[in-house]
Amino acid sequence: MSSSEQPSRQDARVSTGVPGLDSVLGGGLVASGVYIVVGEPGAGKTLFANQLCYHQGRAGARCLYVTLLAESHARMLANMRDMAFFDSALLPEGVYYVSGFRMLEEQGLPGLLELLRREVRNHNASILVLDGLVQAQEAAGSSRDFKKFIHELQVAAGLARFTALMLTSANGPAVHPEYTMVDGILELRERTFGVRSWRELQVRKFRGSATLQGVHTFRISNEGLEVFPRLEARVSRAPPPDPGALRVHFGVPSLDALFPEGLAAGSTSLLLGPPGAGKTMLGCSFLYEGLKQGESCLLMGFYEPPNRLLGKVASAGIDLGGASQDGQLGILWQPPSECVLDILAEQLLTEVQRRKVKRVFVDGLSAIQQSSPDPLRMNSFFAALTQALRATGTTTLFSMETPRLFGPVLDVPMEVGPSAVAENLFFLRHVELDGRLRRLLSIFKMRDTHYDPTLREFVITPKGIEVLPPFNIAVDTLLTGLARHPGTGHF
Amino acid sequence: METVLVVDDEQGILEALADLLREEGYRVLTASHGREALERMAELRPDLVLTDWMMPVMDGPALIERIRTEPAYKDVTLMGMSAVDVSALRRVYPGMPFLQKPFDIYALMRQVRLALDAKRA
Repeated sequence: MSSSEQPSRQDARVSTGVPGLDSVLGGGLVASGVYIVVGEPGAGKTLFANQLCYHQGRAGARCLYVTLLAESHARMLANMRDMAFFDSALLPEGVYYVSGFRMLEEQGLPGLLELLRREVRNHNASILVLDGLVQAQEAAGSSRDFKKFIHELQVAAGLARFTALMLTSANGPAVHPEYTMVDGILELRERTFGVRSWRELQVRKFRGSATLQGVHTFRISNEGLEVFPRLEARVSRAPPPDPGALRVHFGVPSLDALFPEGLAAGSTSLLLGPPGAGKTMLGCSFLYEGLKQGESCLLMGFYEPPNRLLGKVASAGIDLGGASQDGQLGILWQPPSECVLDILAEQLLTEVQRRKVKRVFVDGLSAIQQSSPDPLRMNSFFAALTQALRATGTTTLFSMETPRLFGPVLDVPMEVGPSAVAENLFFLRHVELDGRLRRLLSIFKMRDTHYDPTLREFVITPKGIEVLPPFNIAVDTLLTGLARHPGTGHF
Repeated sequence: METVLVVDDEQGILEALADLLREEGYRVLTASHGREALERMAELRPDLVLTDWMMPVMDGPALIERIRTEPAYKDVTLMGMSAVDVSALRRVYPGMPFLQKPFDIYALMRQVRLALDAKRA
């Protein structure tokens, strides 16, 4: 076969079997490439390499796993047996484990290289894992010897057409100068913020195609590794579909009357307000109307467990229980304590697409915001999230809690301006007037729709939400929460 | 003194098994793969070969095959050990004892003792 008849390396990809990772890598590892996976002990390197081997083994490939470590194969396999990807039937034909420790001890890198070449040939392996590259690095007489070893392994991979994965613990910089000749470097790491920790993957180098850049979250469960590509890196730059003249309403006549044309379908709205102001009621009312129109809807919540929430809104005539049971309404709920930003985004977008959701209400944008230790990321993240939601054609309503119950200061607990998140802004708050505590609603902004800017009191009754007519008496400073009748100074 | 040849590519396991068997009173030979095992056997014929399954250079099945086809070794007792599911190996090699890794070291010693006693009987 002439070189021109050889399959293009760019065309041949090796799927990693790690959900989300192939899309980060632009389709998987490039066949016959040599890759380094670097990370501290416990970062998930060995698990990753095994997951790849069993995935490939299941597809008929033969994988050779060579260890240079003290951990025995039996112990490693004992750790793998509980993983969903493990399949003892693939041993030893599909996945074959050998130790190169003694060869390295006795014959150094030349002996190890010879062992790798011979075993790949003997087992007709298309995947080679070398677990413990740091041992080989330490056994090298010099940096030059180590580079020579990697170079010769690359040559062997090209000739024998195997893809090599070399695992090494981070000793000093993640990317040693000696590593620069390999085809790709993947770094796995664990970060902590306060008492929380989460795992991150970064492609430090990749030859052969573009990758999704930046830091991606991953998690480890009994399913193995699962990567959640950074939302900003994967969101399409294409403009969202044109929703046409479609409009959506809340289903509360007195509220819908404030913007008779309705919200633009596919738009994003934000309900801002303190605890108890009625955000959840309004959001659920928005979903309830969608359900009545036969639409698939989704509620994502963090604070009130689903049963309690459904009971609460039912007391205001918003009956979501039936739709929840028959599946027309999806509910994603999790406590805000252990959320991870990209995992939340993935869950939300997956459910929106899977259910073909037309309306989504995310009750508690703060929980999403607090799930990231990096406030500087929020601007681009929310822009990407709203872009991704718009691309699905769903109409989204977010709620966000403001910290103050009363007072003249309006705090918006966002690192970014609300306009970055939503085209339409509703503001709710409590106001004390004439010795009574009232709920107030105002529309701050509404894109492409005429709206009534008057400040309105609204009430929640067993029959539902009702927005009352404008105040028929002169009242000032309503938005401060401390209203007064002008000229009288009376509150 | 009975001689046991232990074959395993994992150095830690090889050394640990060798030490334990010596403490039990056996003469112990070691090899890190099948070909090295055959070299040891040419120097001193063991009474029992305890071999791992997945090894570089020459694996367990190839070693077993070579020993079984060599008339000089017809009296050598064979015993396998592997992290692979050994129930499948027992079906392929009926009558040959296998130990599932990771194993209880006392169970291993008991198996070695039983195999050598059976051979003497």
